[in-house]
Amino acid sequence: MNDKQLVQVAGMIQEVLLKLRKSRYVECMQRLSLFMSKVQSVTHDSRRLGLALSRDWFAAAERCCKSIGRQLNEIPYTVCTAENILNRRDVKVPKLSVVAEEIRALQDEFGDVEFNWDEKALCAVTEPITLEEVYLGRFRIALYIERLGDLYHQVPYCVMAIDPHPAATDEAVTHPHVSNEQVCEGDGGAAIRAALEAGRLTDFFTLVRSILTTYNPDSPYVPLADWYGTPCYECGYVMDSENSYYCTYCENAVCDECSAVCESCAEVVCKSCACACEICERSLCPHCAKTKCNQCESVCCASCLDDGLCPDCKEERDNDEEQQETGDDKGNAEEETTVGGRLADGGERTGTAHAAVQPHSVGQAPVLSGPLGQ
Amino acid sequence: MRILYINNDGGGFADYLNVAEAQTVGQFFEKQMPGREPHDYLIRVNRQPVPRDYVLQENDRVTLTPTKIEGAA
Repeated sequence: MNDKQLVQVAGMIQEVLLKLRKSRYVECMQRLSLFMSKVQSVTHDSRRLGLALSRDWFAAAERCCKSIGRQLNEIPYTVCTAENILNRRDVKVPKLSVVAEEIRALQDEFGDVEFNWDEKALCAVTEPITLEEVYLGRFRIALYIERLGDLYHQVPYCVMAIDPHPAATDEAVTHPHVSNEQVCEGDGGAAIRAALEAGRLTDFFTLVRSILTTYNPDSPYVPLADWYGTPCYECGYVMDSENSYYCTYCENAVCDECSAVCESCAEVVCKSCACACEICERSLCPHCAKTKCNQCESVCCASCLDDGLCPDCKEERDNDEEQQETGDDKGNAEEETTVGGRLADGGERTGTAHAAVQPHSVGQAPVLSGPLGQ
Repeated sequence: MRILYINNDGGGFADYLNVAEAQTVGQFFEKQMPGREPHDYLIRVNRQPVPRDYVLQENDRVTLTPTKIEGAA
């Protein structure tokens, strides 16, 4: 940027800061209006409460009290924000020469400073940043001049990775505290806003740089420990620590798709270590897969075994037992002497072990002639 | 003598202060930021880096900016 351009940019910034000063007063008015509307709601509800009580309408009175309670709960925050903006309303707009000095100081501080005329953005580039041995590269901090005029409703700057080294599990996270080119300011929010309101450009850029060069392990988008992710041992999918499982037997990290839970003991196993019940096909760990049918030795889970047998062998055994019982019953029936009754051919039952086989169809017998046939 | 003091720590603070004559930047820092270490701050006078023993002048602008600020998610 040559001197002429520098003065041009300084002029643009000063003009926007003048608009911002008006915005501050407008913001004051809006916050005060919000406060007044809440006070009016409370007044209105309290009148209704009085009316309800005068008529002993206790249900209505209760509703009024709840509404008043909600409004009163919100009023302190409304007062605080209104007070905050009122205290900042009188920030002086710097002279053009002061803004120009700020831009020169910014060039001394950062070295790589330029103005993007298409986007009307003042940009400064940081040195390469490494946090806890994780290389993140250089970042461009771009302050959009036109958005600066709407400071109270939108973020006027963004942070872009020049040589992105994003988190393995989320490409939008190029820094632990930057997502989709937006910095989560954390402890620096108030100071950044104050610097922008006063036109202290160097302070603004150095504050953002201080956030980028600091790692807060308590609140990152992606922790540095998970920056490179963990590849699944089975399929290679890169996952973060929250979505990874470890096989109890081989201790390899696997993803949700490649892990299984043993049906018997509920241990986590990878697909390579997992076995399956040959009956219900549910997963078993190597230890529980030692449970087998006593007959055919097929691998079964505990719930598929009955008396130590798989369903097929159990059925077979039951059938055998049943047949054996039936055979025994028949044998017993042949040994017994029959009691009474004539045979179909008129003969009499003898005491022989075998009964005479009646010559006619079962259930059918000829009508005999003779005394019985008359 | 009067100087402009801008402290970008916390919520930010910018106001004029009366300081003793012949006070150095190092002394000024120790008085304003007791218990803090200078290397944790970017200390600038009139937007320029200065040595610790720089003697403050009338209407100097002293800025302290923390070098470590914790962001969030």
